[in-house]
Amino acid sequence: MPNGFSQDEQSRGREVKILAEQSKGRAAIKFLFWTAAAIAVIVYVAEYYATGKMASAYYHTATVDGYAINSNTFGQATKENPVALSIGAFDKIEGPVAVPVKKGDRLPVNANGIISNEVLEAGKRARLEGETIQVLVPWEIKESKGFKYKDTFKHKGVKTDPWSGVWNVAMVILLGITLGFMAEGFTDLLGWKIHKIRHFEGH
Amino acid sequence: MFDFVIAGIHAPIFLLVLTGFTVGIVGGFIGVGGGYMVTPALIVFGFPGYMASGIDATHIAGKAVISSIRHRQLGNIDWTLALTMVGGTMLGVELGVRLLNYTKKLGIAGVVLLACSVVVMFFLFLYTQLETRRAHRKIEEAAEAGRTVGRELKTSTLHHFFQRIPLYPIVRCRTARVVVSMWVVVLIGIATGLLAGFLGVGGGFIRVPSLVYLIGATTHISVGTDLVEIVVSGGYGALRQSMSGNVDMMAVLFMIVGAMIGAQFGSIATAYVRGPAIRYILSYSLILATTGACLRLIYVLTGQKIELLSFLAVVFTLGEMLFLCLFIVSLVVFSVRHKQGKRVPPWVPPLVVAAE
Repeated sequence: MPNGFSQDEQSRGREVKILAEQSKGRAAIKFLFWTAAAIAVIVYVAEYYATGKMASAYYHTATVDGYAINSNTFGQATKENPVALSIGAFDKIEGPVAVPVKKGDRLPVNANGIISNEVLEAGKRARLEGETIQVLVPWEIKESKGFKYKDTFKHKGVKTDPWSGVWNVAMVILLGITLGFMAEGFTDLLGWKIHKIRHFEGH
Repeated sequence: MFDFVIAGIHAPIFLLVLTGFTVGIVGGFIGVGGGYMVTPALIVFGFPGYMASGIDATHIAGKAVISSIRHRQLGNIDWTLALTMVGGTMLGVELGVRLLNYTKKLGIAGVVLLACSVVVMFFLFLYTQLETRRAHRKIEEAAEAGRTVGRELKTSTLHHFFQRIPLYPIVRCRTARVVVSMWVVVLIGIATGLLAGFLGVGGGFIRVPSLVYLIGATTHISVGTDLVEIVVSGGYGALRQSMSGNVDMMAVLFMIVGAMIGAQFGSIATAYVRGPAIRYILSYSLILATTGACLRLIYVLTGQKIELLSFLAVVFTLGEMLFLCLFIVSLVVFSVRHKQGKRVPPWVPPLVVAAE
C-alpha cells in the first residue's frame, strides 16, 4: 500500500472516477443537445418574425369593409397636417397607400389596420377625397390619464389567423422544454448536485 | 430598443428580460404565474393593455414549463394530483371566463373584479399569514426542545376534513402522501379555476394555498404541482389570447429567456427552505397585490379622477416584484450562512434547512 490505500479502495476510487467522468460526458451531451435545440427554436421564431410571416398571420383578414392601411405611414398626421393615402389594388403596402378590402378578404402584405367605410363617412378622423384618403389623426394617441395609449386605426378591423394561436402556444411550450432541459444540462455539467428533496424527513 | 412590429411599439429588450427574470424567481419559488405583476409592468413599457395581458399569459405558459422541469428534478411534483386536478381546473377557468363575460354585459365587470380580487387575496393573506406564524413558533419550540422538524410543518387541520370525505374513486398521491377522494380534488380544481378565470389570472396564488390547506400536500409539492397546472391553464389562456390577436411573440421570447434564468434560481431556492418560508413569501405577495388592487379599486370608485392612485398602484406592483426577489435571495443567502455556522437573524433558522 504505497499510497496508504488498500487495493480494494484503489479500485473503488477508480470506479468512482470513471462513473464521474461518464456522468460529466452525459451532462455535456445533454447540455449541447438542448442548447442546439433551444437556439434552433429561437432562430426559427426570430426568422418567422423578421420576415413578416408572423405579422401577416396576425393581421390576417378584414372584419369590416374599408381600406387596408399601414398606420406607420401616417404616424404624425393631424387635422392641420393630414397625410394623403393613394387608393389602389396593391399586393403589398409600401408607403402612403390604401387598399380597398371587403369583410372576410385576406389583407395585403404589410397591412396593420383598416380604415372602415363608417369612419370615412363620419369624416372626423379620415375622409375620402377623390382617389385619396386624407388621414387627420396620428396612428396612436397617448391618453391623458395614466400610461395607456389608444390606437386609432392600427389593430382595428382585423382578425388574426386562428392557427397562429396554435403556432404561438406550440412555440412557447417548445421553447420552455428546450430552455428548461438546457438549464438542467448546464447544472449537471457544472456538477451541481441537485437531489430530490426529502419532504418527510427531519432536519 | 426593439421594434415590436405586431404590438406596434419600441421597447428596450433589457427591461423585458429583467421582468421575465424577476417574475421567474418569484414564480419558481412560490409556484405562481405572476400575471398580476407582469401586466402593469408591460403597460408601463408602452404595450397596449390587451397586448400586455396576452403577452403575459403566453409567457406564463413557457415559464411554467421551465420551472416544472426543475421542480420535477427536485421531486416537487405529484403527477397523480396534478393530472386529477387539471380537468377541474380547465372547467373552472371556462366557467370563470363566462361569468366574467356575463358581468361585462351587466356593465359592472371592472368594479366586481377588483372588489373580488381584494376580498379573495386579503382572506388568503390573512389565513396564510396567521397559520404560518403559528407554524414558525412551533418549529422554534421544537428546536428549543431539541426535537428534529421535518421540511414541512403546518398547523391547519382543514385537510383532515376533506381527506375524510368517502366519495369513490379514491386517489392515492404517492409523492404528496395524500389519500383523498377524486371528487374533492376535481371540485377544488373547479373552484380555484373559476376564481382564476373570473379574475383573469393564472390562479397560482389561489391554488397553492388550496393544495396545502384543503388537500394536505406539503408546500414544496403544492408549488411544483401547481406549476404543472399552470402549464395547462396558462397554455389554454395563451391559446385564447393568441387567437384573439393579443400576443407579440418576440416580447414573449425575450421574457422567457429572462424567466429561464430566474426560474432556475427560484425553483432551486425551494431546496434551501422549509414550507413555512414559502408560505410567508406567498402571503406577502398576496398582501402587496391586495394593496395594489385596493388602490386601483379606489381609483375606479372615485370616478378615475385621482391620478396619483393609478400611478401608485403601478409603482406598488413593480416594487412588489423587486421586494419579493430580494426576500427570496436573502433567504437563500441566510440559509447558506446558517449551514456554514455563521450568524443569521434569529427568525431565520426555523425557516431554512440546516442540512440535507
